[in-house]
Amino acid sequence: MKHANPTKFEPPRPASAVRTATIVIYTTLMLLAVTIPQSVVNWFADMNANPVQDTALRGAEALRNLSQRAGVATVYQRARDIFIAISGVEPD
Amino acid sequence: MLFPTIEFAVFFAVVFSVTWLLNARNTAKKLFLVAASYFFYAAWRPEFTLLLLVSSVFNYGAALLIDRFKYRAQRLTVLWIAVAANLGLLGYFKYYNFFAASLINAFAAIGVKIDIGFIEVALPIAISFLTFHALSYIIDVYRRVLKPTTSLIDIMFYIGFFPHLIAGPIVRANKFLVQTIGPRDPANIRLGESVFLILGGLFKKVIIANYLSTGFVDGVFRDPTANSSLDLIFGMYGYALVIYCDFSAYTDIAIGVANLLGYEFPQNFNYPYRATSVQDFWRRWHMSLSSWLRDYLYIPLGGSKFGTFATYRNIMITMALGGLWHGASWAFLIWGCLHGAALVIERMLGVTGDHRDAKRGTFATALGWLVTTQFVCLAWVFFRAPSTDAWLGYFATMLSGRSWSTGVTPFVAVIFALGALSHILPPRMFVTLEKRYDAAPLAVKVLVPFVVIYLISVAAPAGIAPFIYFQF
Repeated sequence: MKHANPTKFEPPRPASAVRTATIVIYTTLMLLAVTIPQSVVNWFADMNANPVQDTALRGAEALRNLSQRAGVATVYQRARDIFIAISGVEPD
Repeated sequence: MLFPTIEFAVFFAVVFSVTWLLNARNTAKKLFLVAASYFFYAAWRPEFTLLLLVSSVFNYGAALLIDRFKYRAQRLTVLWIAVAANLGLLGYFKYYNFFAASLINAFAAIGVKIDIGFIEVALPIAISFLTFHALSYIIDVYRRVLKPTTSLIDIMFYIGFFPHLIAGPIVRANKFLVQTIGPRDPANIRLGESVFLILGGLFKKVIIANYLSTGFVDGVFRDPTANSSLDLIFGMYGYALVIYCDFSAYTDIAIGVANLLGYEFPQNFNYPYRATSVQDFWRRWHMSLSSWLRDYLYIPLGGSKFGTFATYRNIMITMALGGLWHGASWAFLIWGCLHGAALVIERMLGVTGDHRDAKRGTFATALGWLVTTQFVCLAWVFFRAPSTDAWLGYFATMLSGRSWSTGVTPFVAVIFALGALSHILPPRMFVTLEKRYDAAPLAVKVLVPFVVIYLISVAAPAGIAPFIYFQF
């Protein structure tokens, strides 16, 4: 969609502002967890060991395995490898 | 808990939802936000949450007492006690060892040996910002600009609210407390602006500040004498970009996060390296601190009311203390005094640096920008150098013209260019982008932050350094 004058748009209706922001925040987080699942695994692995942490870690590992099988997590790893090769920064 | 981490993202997602669920029950919402803020602060050192609590309770009581007294002398007495207590706390944690060491050295220089004990205590994070917020409250109550609140929760909320707690912006009590009165209107959420502030902040911190720091600037400042003159010049400009991208990133994210929760914070940066005078620079850099210093230090000292000499003296005192506020070292004091001296010289020359001043021609404006930028960047060397020897060595090597080779890699050069873009891109462009974002379909609204954060993650360094202003 092309907009001739972007300054003339109506702002979102107040009633929907919180709902929209909620959808943006949670969907963004979920998409990031699915596409970069290793970060979630690392986060839970760094926590102090307890039954909740253990369950969360196993859940994150399951998500990572699923993401890897679907090839989603691999895209991130490849992109990161390319960035490291181009930039010359030290690998993780 | 740093802003660019998963911990914070999850923390904020929960806080956002619960805050708006409780919005109709304002007291419950404020209690929840106070608890969330204390949890946020406790992530560093849980024991220091007690400091936050004591400060809030003390200033709450002091303000009520100031308001209760009818006579100015009584109110002033309570104010002085409260100011002394706040500054005493700050002094104990932040400046005691510095002044003790300075005294020992001063006496040693005249051959007298004195024994003053040092204290071994960790500096509570954000203590300077906490103190400024508290002082703003009690001074405004004393001036009768603000009615003291009878709600302790409101003061705990004002002083401890997590987005500004660690590194600002410094929010004035009279601007914040009115926002705590009733439920917040969801119409206050400016999603496009908040999303772009947060994404821009993440980019500036994670990519520009971190890579420029670890990839070049840290090495140059670690041992200036081992570097070429050219690299020290690049290091000076590099640090100017690092400190801007680091600090403005924090406050941009803070402003965006607060707005998503329905609260307004003041703008803290306005393209500071576009300033055409040092006075103009302080209207654009850490604006909430410079206006705080103006209203609570410069004006009470007399401002410009008592003649030329008194004005210059007041500027020097304000800027020297402003420098010392950043940290307990002579380098910060020198940095503040340099800025004070520059402001005094500008006044003597009649330079205002106001970009709206039509009388200034293009050449004068360009020259003003050039001189101001060089001065500000040179002064940052004092700010960054870890010791007197370090900045002496830095300037000596830089000015020696020893070698003109450079260790700047192509990647660091790209980061430099991206950092410079932060001042070249026009503000209007971001406003247009925000408006386009607000008008876009929901799928685009989700995709934009996802794609930007994904790309930042692809290019992010392995670890994120704490924000520079955390130490202040």
